[in-house]
Amino acid sequence: MSNVQQTQAFYSLTLAAPSATTAAVTCNSIPGLKNQDQQIFEARGQRIYLHRILENDDRTEVKLSTVCEQDVFGIIRGVTSFRIPGTATDQLVIASDSGRVALVNYDAEKNQFKRVHLETFGKSGVRRTVPGQYLASDPRGRCCMLASAEKNKVVYIVNRNSEAEIVISSPHEANSWANLCFGICALDTGWEHPVFAALEVDYNDAENDPTGEMYERREKQLVYYTVDLGLNHVVKSWSDTVEYSANMLFGVPGGQDGPSGVLVCCEDRIYYRHDKAAPLCIPIPRRKGSTEDPDRKRIIVSGCLHLSKARHEFFFLLQTEDGDVFKLTMEMSEEAKAQPERLVLKYYDTFPVAKQMLLIRKGYIYIAAENGNSKVYHVNDLADDPEVEPHNTFSSDDVSPDPTDTYTPTYFIPRHLKFTSLAVDIPSLHPLMRTKVDNPAGEDAPQIYAIQGTGNRSVFKTIRHGLEIQEIVSSPLGNIPCDNLWSLKHRSSDEYHSYLLLSSGYGDKTIVLSIGDEVETIDDTAFLTNRATVTAAQMGDNTLVQVHARGVHSILGSGAVNAWPSPANRTIVAASANDRQLLLGLSSAELAFFFMGDDGVLNQLEDMPEMSGKITALSVGQTPKGQQQAKYAVVGCDDCTIRVLSIELDSPLEARSVQALSAVPTSIEVVEMVEPGGAGTVVSYVHIGLASGLYLRAIIDEVTGELGEVRTKFLGARATRLFPVNIAASQQQGVLACSTRPWLGYNHPGSSLYTLTPLVAAPMEAARPFVSEHLNGLCAIQGANLLIFGISKVDGRLSASEVSLRYTPRAMSRNPWGPVWYVAQSDGNTLSQATKDDLRAKAGDTIPAEEFAELEKHIGLSRSAGHWASCIQAIDPLEAKAATSTIELADNEAALCCVVVPFESRNWEVYLAVGTGQHMTPGVAATAATESPKGFVHIYKLTDSGRQMELVHKTPFASPIYALHPFHGRLALGVGPELFVYDLGMKSLLRKSRGVVVPNQIVSIDSRGNRLVCADVSESVTYVVFKPKYNRMIGFVDDSIQRWSTTASMLDYETVAGGDKFGNLWVVRCPEQASKESDEEGIGGYIVNERSYLGGAPYRVELRSHFFTQDVPLSIQRTALVPGGQEVLFWSGLQGTIGMLVPFMSREDVEFFTQLEQLLRGEEGAATLVGRDHLMYRGYYVPVKGTVDGDLCEGFLVLGAGGKAKMAGEVEREGREVERKVLEMRTRVAF
Amino acid sequence: MADKLRTQQQLEALQNKYIGTGHADTTKHEWTSNIARDSYASYQGHSPLLHYMSIGMGQGVERTRMKCMEGMVLPCGPAPATEE
Repeated sequence: MSNVQQTQAFYSLTLAAPSATTAAVTCNSIPGLKNQDQQIFEARGQRIYLHRILENDDRTEVKLSTVCEQDVFGIIRGVTSFRIPGTATDQLVIASDSGRVALVNYDAEKNQFKRVHLETFGKSGVRRTVPGQYLASDPRGRCCMLASAEKNKVVYIVNRNSEAEIVISSPHEANSWANLCFGICALDTGWEHPVFAALEVDYNDAENDPTGEMYERREKQLVYYTVDLGLNHVVKSWSDTVEYSANMLFGVPGGQDGPSGVLVCCEDRIYYRHDKAAPLCIPIPRRKGSTEDPDRKRIIVSGCLHLSKARHEFFFLLQTEDGDVFKLTMEMSEEAKAQPERLVLKYYDTFPVAKQMLLIRKGYIYIAAENGNSKVYHVNDLADDPEVEPHNTFSSDDVSPDPTDTYTPTYFIPRHLKFTSLAVDIPSLHPLMRTKVDNPAGEDAPQIYAIQGTGNRSVFKTIRHGLEIQEIVSSPLGNIPCDNLWSLKHRSSDEYHSYLLLSSGYGDKTIVLSIGDEVETIDDTAFLTNRATVTAAQMGDNTLVQVHARGVHSILGSGAVNAWPSPANRTIVAASANDRQLLLGLSSAELAFFFMGDDGVLNQLEDMPEMSGKITALSVGQTPKGQQQAKYAVVGCDDCTIRVLSIELDSPLEARSVQALSAVPTSIEVVEMVEPGGAGTVVSYVHIGLASGLYLRAIIDEVTGELGEVRTKFLGARATRLFPVNIAASQQQGVLACSTRPWLGYNHPGSSLYTLTPLVAAPMEAARPFVSEHLNGLCAIQGANLLIFGISKVDGRLSASEVSLRYTPRAMSRNPWGPVWYVAQSDGNTLSQATKDDLRAKAGDTIPAEEFAELEKHIGLSRSAGHWASCIQAIDPLEAKAATSTIELADNEAALCCVVVPFESRNWEVYLAVGTGQHMTPGVAATAATESPKGFVHIYKLTDSGRQMELVHKTPFASPIYALHPFHGRLALGVGPELFVYDLGMKSLLRKSRGVVVPNQIVSIDSRGNRLVCADVSESVTYVVFKPKYNRMIGFVDDSIQRWSTTASMLDYETVAGGDKFGNLWVVRCPEQASKESDEEGIGGYIVNERSYLGGAPYRVELRSHFFTQDVPLSIQRTALVPGGQEVLFWSGLQGTIGMLVPFMSREDVEFFTQLEQLLRGEEGAATLVGRDHLMYRGYYVPVKGTVDGDLCEGFLVLGAGGKAKMAGEVEREGREVERKVLEMRTRVAF
Repeated sequence: MADKLRTQQQLEALQNKYIGTGHADTTKHEWTSNIARDSYASYQGHSPLLHYMSIGMGQGVERTRMKCMEGMVLPCGPAPATEE
């Protein structure tokens, strides 16, 4: 219980799970589905997903839906699937860092993954000799192999026993000392003994030869490991030397389907190798084009096999590192069937570079993209016709299969998509370079601004928490403001709505519209138009009821009109109706109740009970299916109470329960919704909107009418009004709550939890369902407009708008005076725009520049080693929604960081400072020894309210600049290990102060007052105090352990939070004494003369919190995420993770959540799917400290009812209370 | 004596099983090579880190992985000649 002792503890939550795929495989694991219907089993970060491709009948709409997702709390390194002969569904195998292999099944009943086997083979953690790095399974489903980077390989044989249980053998090892494994794959041997192929290098000789000669002569071997199922062991059966650059293997179909063997993918060449067949070789075609380097060699990075078992035909799709996909086919010799004679490569299409490419039998290609959005392409043509594009087809004829022989490279012409078309674009956030939470538009909740992507697929994203709406019609309603609307069917059996009533309380009138092919005003109508409507409903079979202040106006099916005038001197202030029941609230605090008979006539109950205060809102429950009447109505009064009344005919208007509220209820809706987690049971929920903007939801007990399980959320600063709606996307009941923003309450299709998400739209007055022949959506009053819209997706919670960028973004900074952002972008090993223009002019390229740019957008930027492409752009994401100004850098310069800085010497005018590096070698750190890399700081003047940039001057530095920071009206910058403060001069920056404060390289600077915090590339943070009077910078606190910092941010004057490259988040604090000493007046004080401790600063920081996130955190910020919410530590990681650390407010909470976390760690299904110890995982590098894993605690919500009750008992609370606490930790501060 | 022999055997078994288990005469080269190989293996196993390095180097993840693998062959150069 170390957390309890802490001064500060955090609760870590993920807001968006990482989107970068680690591994993916096709499988068939949902029981009862056809063989054709393949699913995708995918691992992203620490989560596993099962996706399905869903399409409508004519294939015009395709979507990738997630069937199941689960957090496994371990590093997943590989997944595979196979079907054991004689079983119905596929087994899923997960290789993780747990040192165990997990065999998992999808349990369709519970909709979760179920572990079948968990076999230990080594130590936990990602280690050199513990298998798990590579994973391959026999295509016939008999065994699987796990291999490590060095030495170890282990094979498990799986089988099925007579009880149809899956049995797994003990591990069979095939270890060889000093042997590196570059890749493995399973051979297809038909039903003969399974064989695994591996690419191996033996380093023993090379290491022991001091002359280095053996190193030069090292060889890469292709090794076959045969699994002898009879003798139950694994033997090395064959090996041969292959080209040294080999990096990947693919098994070629065998048995009846093909010749068996492997494809060995090397740099620039692909070989076919097998022990029983002659080798073949084919060069990988290179791109032809005026800006392409003709000598650049590609490697294959991903590929997939298509095998038609019925026709014994197969082909491979192989993707190069440029993204070009080639179709590889094999032609067999006439005489011997199993002797391949020729390889044929045909350029297929160019896709984003895939981490994993999967071919789905229905005719789709799934690209799990390495960078940017993953995509699903529809295959229109398999490029079987040899007549099509003969210039892009190549064969292995005349190419020697000997790696030492020379060959002539081949060239193809890349183009736009031809054989496929994009079917689904899956929104992803990786690689997420930087994020910043800000609110320049002054919206209700702050937005997340992010720079994301690589190359020319980079984007600047504005991410909002909310669902996107599809606006269909927005038409003005004239100058009388309307405040409510109703959509009515003509009779209850109708499918579509026929009338739309708009009511204006201000104008005291009602507008009636008819809904048909068009929505038009009807002048001649039986509805009362000269009064404002309180409520309108279609009741009985075909009666339309309109309630206005002075009475009830009901239009019978025959056209006859019945009117019920309100009692003298009383008006109707609130009303609610369902199919048969109508409840009115009168101004005298009396209730009037009506029941509709079968004749469509309303019969009034004589008794009119009086409520305790003025009635402000009321609602009757919806008529349950197959019944005549609802059981309860809820009435809210201005004395801040609500009452539940029975409205059944045998006990009409009997009070059942009372609940006090914090404010006057303005809107009440009783809605029947499916209980989340319950097996489809329908529960009556009462939703209450308060004048204070709060929203409450409670359950009405079916029997007693008591209210229970109250959940609260603050929606906005306006009184909340509620409207029950149908959500077409999930075909469920939901509630639309209108405050300063519209919110939608619904059961989330993924987690099946009740979720409240704002809509990304302007405020709405009222909203109702709108069902017509063409549309199943919603209609609303938005300002002075009538809006008809649809909500197509409710599974995501974030929506983003984007502005495309030119190169990989590195840093961004906001103009403090407007919603304009500056983004520094640079790409290594890429030709700059100027060089490309030059090359094109030289080559006499006739393709117009726009066409070239468009093609480049598709196939990616032209690459060449040693070149840099870079630019700086001003982005206006709100108004122009585009880049307003672009400055391309020349001379091999690369922009690395940027900041907007106000200079005191220029009367606090803001300038943009950009730090660059010149002639850098990507991946090699700039040290003093390497002479060539230099750095510059460019200063740009900002004009046109920041939308335009003008270069003022640039100042050279000895090394690239990675960190800039505005500091007291000047510019603080890091040059290698030195920290400088510069002021703006006429011709260049002018140095004002200098201090050597960190050991290696400053990568990030933050400051408060005169205290600066510098993060070093490998040595954590150093606190520096600036003494303005003496112009000195003194480092006084540093860290006791090395942290390869990526980002650091000051939380307050004493505390710094940061992240490092290994995926840790940490919070460190300056010791009190050091802090005091540093702020002593003058320079004669103690701190200057303090002796350095162990070669560092005199003091060391105290570690407050430490947490392993797996993802590399690249931004961290202290901010509030919801209006009125507490501040949290918001962070984002490279693989697309968005998360937060929520500081605990009370000691009891810390104790409670620590205890809950402790209990959940051991819980089957919550944390232990791959068998990784949760505590060890979260403390991967440094023991977890002062942090409770909220993602694990949220595992409580998906436990079964029994599990919940047991666990709640152990923490001595009610199950529902624990649930509420867990949910509130998230909803209180974020989404 | 038998005890000493057994200890020796146990140590050898350990060294065989767990690469990097040191002995009394571990050289600097052995030790540094070992560390470097461990690091390279770790980079490949943590996909976010490999991704991060690939973006920094301006190349694909697979190429970075191959560089890491290749680095494991002889991370610190050949062993220095031993003086007999």
